[in-house]
Amino acid sequence: MIELRKILRDPVLAATIGVIAVALFLFVVYPLFKVFQMSVVADGGLSLHIYSDLLDKSFERRPIYNSLILGALVGVAGTAVGYLFAFAIARADVPWKGFFRIIATFPIISPPFVLSLAAILLLGRQGFITRTVFQGWWDPHIYGLRGLILVETIAFFPTAFLIMLGILQAIDPALEESSLNLGATRWQVFRTVTLPLSIPGLASSLLVVFVESLADFGNPIILSGNFHVLSVQAYLQITGMADFAGGAGLAVLLLLPTLVAFLLQKYWVSRKSYVTVTGKPSPGRLSVDPMTRRLLFCLCLAVTGGILLLYGTVVFGSFVTLWGANYTLTLKHYVSVFKIGGGYLRDTLILAGVATPITGILGMVIAFLVVRKEFAGKGLMDLTSMLTFAVPGTVVGIGYILVFNEPPLLLTGTAAIIVLLFIFRNVPVGIRAGVAALQQIDKAIEEAATNLGAGTARTFVTITLPLITPAFFSGLAYSFVRCMTAISAVIFVVSGSWNLITVAILGLVENADLSQAAAFSLVLVAIVLLVLGLMQYGVGRVATSQMGYEPQG
Amino acid sequence: MRRILMLLTLVAAAAWAIPAQGGQVLHMYSALDTAESQLYIPEFEKETGIKVQWVRLSSGEVLARLRAEAKNPQVSIWFGGPSQDHITGKKVGTSAPYTPPLDWTLPANAHDPEWHWVGYYFGAIGFGSNTEFLKKAGVSAPTSWDDLLQPAFKGQIAIAFPYTSGTSYTVLATLVQMMGEDKAFEYWKKLNQNVHHYDKSGSAPVTQAGLGEVGVAVSFSHDILTKGSDKGYPIAMTFPKEGTGFEIGGMSLVKGGPEPELAKKFVDWALTARAQSMMKQWFRIPLNPKAEVAKGAVRADQVKLINFDAVKAGEERDRLIKRWRSEIGQ
Repeated sequence: MIELRKILRDPVLAATIGVIAVALFLFVVYPLFKVFQMSVVADGGLSLHIYSDLLDKSFERRPIYNSLILGALVGVAGTAVGYLFAFAIARADVPWKGFFRIIATFPIISPPFVLSLAAILLLGRQGFITRTVFQGWWDPHIYGLRGLILVETIAFFPTAFLIMLGILQAIDPALEESSLNLGATRWQVFRTVTLPLSIPGLASSLLVVFVESLADFGNPIILSGNFHVLSVQAYLQITGMADFAGGAGLAVLLLLPTLVAFLLQKYWVSRKSYVTVTGKPSPGRLSVDPMTRRLLFCLCLAVTGGILLLYGTVVFGSFVTLWGANYTLTLKHYVSVFKIGGGYLRDTLILAGVATPITGILGMVIAFLVVRKEFAGKGLMDLTSMLTFAVPGTVVGIGYILVFNEPPLLLTGTAAIIVLLFIFRNVPVGIRAGVAALQQIDKAIEEAATNLGAGTARTFVTITLPLITPAFFSGLAYSFVRCMTAISAVIFVVSGSWNLITVAILGLVENADLSQAAAFSLVLVAIVLLVLGLMQYGVGRVATSQMGYEPQG
Repeated sequence: MRRILMLLTLVAAAAWAIPAQGGQVLHMYSALDTAESQLYIPEFEKETGIKVQWVRLSSGEVLARLRAEAKNPQVSIWFGGPSQDHITGKKVGTSAPYTPPLDWTLPANAHDPEWHWVGYYFGAIGFGSNTEFLKKAGVSAPTSWDDLLQPAFKGQIAIAFPYTSGTSYTVLATLVQMMGEDKAFEYWKKLNQNVHHYDKSGSAPVTQAGLGEVGVAVSFSHDILTKGSDKGYPIAMTFPKEGTGFEIGGMSLVKGGPEPELAKKFVDWALTARAQSMMKQWFRIPLNPKAEVAKGAVRADQVKLINFDAVKAGEERDRLIKRWRSEIGQ
């Protein structure tokens, strides 16, 4: 009761909470509810016949099984590779650390299907490696499970890497140090100290990579062959057969394992934190012997080689006249990127440019509310805003066309629906970064401002926001990258007025116009890198100007 | 910080303002390949001053979108895709009638009796085989539907999903009309064992055969020529001797579309000899007798065609696809 009165005394705060709550309901919860509703209502009554139909037929059941198997395998493989890189960088002090760090995060900024494209160019039946190395005595069979494991592991191990790096850096080396001093071998130290301490991180990265694989759409639509997965099947059900109920049913089936994994991660694994930051400086003695270090270095190098080979192939492919028939080098694909792709590029940049700042600010505001304010339904706001991160794009896209295709929320065909989709899909990362940053800032600074008479809005803009600028910009950067490379959800809402470059690339790949698709993808990557560079520069500037203010403040 | 916020707001405001532009705009779903759409649409824009905003989708996808958007049509015209898909469109009530004024006669099978759709090209189903593959496997190019069942073609045939691609549905309807429904499904079950995988787009198999990813593509002859041999891939084109299916490529106005007058202008324009002659570049056979035909393009009198009933094919679509999915299991 006291809480409520306090909030009402602060109308800006009350209004903000109200607006955000309505927005989250409308753009996150309601579309998901609609998908669910679509799948259980038939002929005006409640019915589960869609599910019994779906589970009845083996060709409908197989995608469920396939998606789960693929997700599990990619979860394990991605976590293993991520742990390898994180351990090599954080613990083993291998040479070329900076380089490996770049390699292990690069796949995040590349459009989702680029790796599939590269896999076909390299390992397809007429792929470069297939022809020159295997020469017919072995067919890699990349259309299907194998190919998907390969490309998704590379696409998603960066997430595992970042999680594991954070965990490993938070483990105090002094613990390993003491067990070494007590006579343990280095292997025993790893097995009994380092590994157990990384278990929460491993579990959490397993779950996150599993979810990413389940939600992946760009790779399976190109590379899955006859290994059908849920995300693509739900899309085909709706776009190919206009079977909205069946598509919604598949979407719900896709949502269930995702939600279970998400909730496990959020409420169970992340609670089991074994972080041991003590604040005491630790002597920098290494916990691996030179032999192991060399081995780790070689393993990282091998993975790096594979990744560079894949991306290198895309670069080479974009200059080839006609892959498979004429390998003369040419610039014509780049000429037509700007000739036919100019409109796509412009649209994508405008939409991402509008969505990114809004996403960034919204993320910080929600983070501020969740960490600093007390109000009824706070936990719910936290959970809902994180939800879109876990929900596969296919499900969200289906929800959006169901909700926003008729009055009063008629939005299909407009830029607004794409921008809204971008905002609510990407805001969770900004929130996470904001929450982490805010928890490290003493509340007393803001309280001082409030005591001096500043309202919530003024405190937020003049005190909080400047203090969390780095988190704000990392939220911005991430959301920009995701806008530029998004495909799974937006493919449902693109219209003639607003075309996205990823959708155009997907069309090219589908029509097997590989070199042209490669050129488009590289231009996209170049633009993303350029903007990220500009942002980096911007953060530097902002940080310096802030320092300049400090003496007066 | 306030300055940054203001700047961001400005950026957002400016970006919203840009797309507001004057002039007439026609919204369109094109079932033609992106590259081919780009041959015709800019010419129409140049000649008429009407701006076209279009999305490329496979014709099955167009149909699904039109059905989903029936309460709130987003486009005024559906351009491209075989007539049977347009016939399905008429059946589910997404199309509107329009009789274009012509000084030549459109054959009776090239338009809807009530003018819900209008044809504008002809194309026959054929096989595109990678000649290097044929040489290595020691087989000759398939010249009958049964040839596709040979063990030598195991995992070497590419074709699209009949439910996403008008091309592939034409194949299914052709087989059903030629062999009878049960026999046709028996046939496809055997064919399925030789299919490497199914694509979404009907012309994608051609490039895959060109690349050598598969040996044989089943597709329309104009796609085989344009995306295969004309591009420089080692592709040989053959036709089944029992007879093959064909498409009359169509276009139809969307019921309740926002710009019916502009859509009619587009239909009129697409049937002019000048516009029809442009299809040369894609090896399609124009319907306007005054239009030019590409050298090497396959006309209706050069292959054995079955007596293809597009109306029946269009009306049976939903049922045949349901049966295809449950029997073939893809």
